[in-house]
Amino acid sequence: MDDVSFDVHDGQIKAVIGPNGAGKSTLFNVMTAFDRPDAGSVLFDGDEVTGKRPHLIVRSGIARTFQNTQLFEDMTARENVMAGAHAVTKAGFFASALRLPWTVQEERDVAEEAARLLRLVGLGEWTNTPAADMPHGLRRLLEIARALAARPRVLLLDEPAAGLNMAETVALAEALYRIRDEGTTIVVVEHDMGLVMEVSDEIVVLDRGRKIAEGPPRLIQKDPVVIAAYLGEEEADEL
Amino acid sequence: MGAVELLQFALAGLKNGAIYALVALGFTLVYAATGAINFAQGEFYMLGGMLSVWAYAGLGLPLPLAGLVGVAMTALVGGVFELLAVRPRKDGDLLAIIIITVGGSMVLSSAARHLFGPLEKALPAFTSTGTVSIFGAVLEIQSLWILGLTTLAVVALWYLYNRTSLGRAMRACAVNRDAARLVGIDPRRIVTVSFMLAAALGALAGLAVTPLTQTAFDVGPSVGIKGFAAAILGGLGNPIAAVAGGIVLGMLESMSIAFISSTYKDAIALVVLLGVLFWRPQGIFGASRREKV
Amino acid sequence: MVKRPDIRLIAIVAIALVAVFALPMLTSERYLLRVFTFVGVNVIIITGMALLFGYAGQVSLGHAAFYGIGAYASAFAVLTLGWPWVAGVALALVLTAVGGLLLALPSLRLKGHYLAMATLGFGEIMKVVFVEARPVTGGPDGLSGIPYPTLGPLEFDTAGTAYWLVWGVAAVALLLAYNVVRSRAGRAMRALHGSELGATACGIDITGVKVRVFVISAALAGLAGALYAHVVGFVSPSTFSLHVSVLLVAMAVLGGTGSLAGPVIATVILTLIPYSDAVIPGLSRTALETIQEWQEDIYGLTIIAVMLFVPGGIGSLIRRIFPERGDAG
Repeated sequence: MDDVSFDVHDGQIKAVIGPNGAGKSTLFNVMTAFDRPDAGSVLFDGDEVTGKRPHLIVRSGIARTFQNTQLFEDMTARENVMAGAHAVTKAGFFASALRLPWTVQEERDVAEEAARLLRLVGLGEWTNTPAADMPHGLRRLLEIARALAARPRVLLLDEPAAGLNMAETVALAEALYRIRDEGTTIVVVEHDMGLVMEVSDEIVVLDRGRKIAEGPPRLIQKDPVVIAAYLGEEEADEL
Repeated sequence: MGAVELLQFALAGLKNGAIYALVALGFTLVYAATGAINFAQGEFYMLGGMLSVWAYAGLGLPLPLAGLVGVAMTALVGGVFELLAVRPRKDGDLLAIIIITVGGSMVLSSAARHLFGPLEKALPAFTSTGTVSIFGAVLEIQSLWILGLTTLAVVALWYLYNRTSLGRAMRACAVNRDAARLVGIDPRRIVTVSFMLAAALGALAGLAVTPLTQTAFDVGPSVGIKGFAAAILGGLGNPIAAVAGGIVLGMLESMSIAFISSTYKDAIALVVLLGVLFWRPQGIFGASRREKV
Repeated sequence: MVKRPDIRLIAIVAIALVAVFALPMLTSERYLLRVFTFVGVNVIIITGMALLFGYAGQVSLGHAAFYGIGAYASAFAVLTLGWPWVAGVALALVLTAVGGLLLALPSLRLKGHYLAMATLGFGEIMKVVFVEARPVTGGPDGLSGIPYPTLGPLEFDTAGTAYWLVWGVAAVALLLAYNVVRSRAGRAMRALHGSELGATACGIDITGVKVRVFVISAALAGLAGALYAHVVGFVSPSTFSLHVSVLLVAMAVLGGTGSLAGPVIATVILTLIPYSDAVIPGLSRTALETIQEWQEDIYGLTIIAVMLFVPGGIGSLIRRIFPERGDAG
């Protein structure tokens, strides 16, 4: 990863694309402090992200999903999403043990919000199903709902369409529109070009750790530098 | 304290350190193969001593043969334990394997009590009960045996690791099980072999120590903790460092007896364990590692 | 919550509560009451172990040591220092919580199951301390003549009242734990057990949560010790050995994950094994001795069998009977 910088505007869907090994996942891991950059720093809204403990990142307004979904398998869809609200709720061991009135109210609010978020991503029917029992495509949507429960300003999605069939990809795209329309900014790393070209307002192209292009989908599609980078990959694949 | 007395304590530390090193090697082998801590490792040490006593006093075998029988039978027990209790847990879940070895430890020590009774057992010294004098400090001949056998075991293990195809397969599994499987290595077999080797190493330690300190069905856990502290001190997963960790721990214990008191010498291992975990989890000889997402 | 309470479940809990608290009125047999008082003491410890193992996925092999610290601390406070029992309990709670914190901070900061080995080491050290620290612990003979628990004018000086006190505390501990497991803190525990990466991404401080759970479980073991010492009137080092720690692990493992009812049932079963004569009338002396002779094998094999064949323990079986309840119980 080499000196990549780009801006994300509020209420946009921004896609990060690039050939394999371009550094897309590393970018996400650095942005959420799961990885530490060798040098340099990540700024979010003028605040330093680098060096923070990873569980604190979500409190500064960045939530994420994982390439390999990291759901809580034994917990129901709603419990997964409620756990996602951890950063924006307060009840600790003692307050919960004593069932202080404010914790009961907080619990009720979180449960309602979780139900709303599940409907938002189209999982209203799966509320009480354990995550382990959900089909692959829906698990990705569940992880998105869980990330949203932290009320992030920016949502980072790491290859949300990987392994989805056509219908599931369409459902994903619709969920992304609804999330954006609620005012949440989305940054998505994705291989599925159809999805990227359709949903993103702007695209950043990485190649071997560098940013080689940035712009709206229409321009990126015609950019000779981008085409060369991808062609290079295809040739390498053929070899 | 005079130089001779200090040397006396240092020699005792070296002897105990060699024992911890063998037990630590056992932890290291199983950890490399499974990623789990084997809580039954101390029981292999116990069985090595108890089974040798049984072969010597019960079967009337000559001592060298009895020792061989003790170590070989313990290795067999290690292998059978792996096959019956660890392998059936196919997902290899670490927490599950650890808990299984905790249960196994309980069963093994209890079985030893059923078979051999609750009393302490002893073996005669391998060659002589005499001592040698080193710059005025006294060392039992049996301690020389302990040091010699440990050295031999370490060399044999080094040879196995670096010069045999089995050793290469074990190292490959430690780095990446899936890749090892692709080149035709069966990781399950490596796990079984690792348990057997770990059991044999623990048994060797238990055998060598029994003429000096006696043994009983319940000696396993405390030796297990020390061996583990030694393995952690070296950096879990690295055999050479585990041996060094054992020696360092033995020395620290000896010096604590020399300068503080012998009552709480067993606490040294716990302090070392917690201290290493807190300040240097990769061990004093390990390079720092970062975890990947 | 949207979930409707299950009527069968409420009935079962109500019947269990009535049965537990009615026992001293149904029987006057001291031995039976005494045995079920032990069960209650173990239920208090297992409440903490259930949170630690069944929810947060951590193993402790040193809870007998915390149990012992609690017992000796309150016995010493009352016998030697002349404190009231409640102050002894407070001392037990403080010592075990601080001890738990000092053990947990280094061991739980890292991935991997170092806590199990650290607690095993701690237990072995405390075994030595209980024997060697004679002025406090009475050495190998232990302490005797420990007075019954008192709360102001209330004195729990009969088998029946001691039983009620222990089970009263156990019921409160279980209720508080039940509140925790279906709250935000409970979700955090289950989440980090499910996926540490996912939990971190949700903003859960996984080390912080594990440390808190461990401290709570250590303090509950200390509380149980402070009850045990005064109800029995006598403590000695062998009561707090490694075998007891492994027995507690067996209870937690058999009880299963994500459940409170499961571990309580497992505790009743496993505690009663060496006292089978209390519940099986006419059990012969030799049969009882055989059971006692083999109890450690039973615990060890139980642990292995559960991990191999029913990894979720009794808790998962309960969930199969009441599938509509996703969470605790």
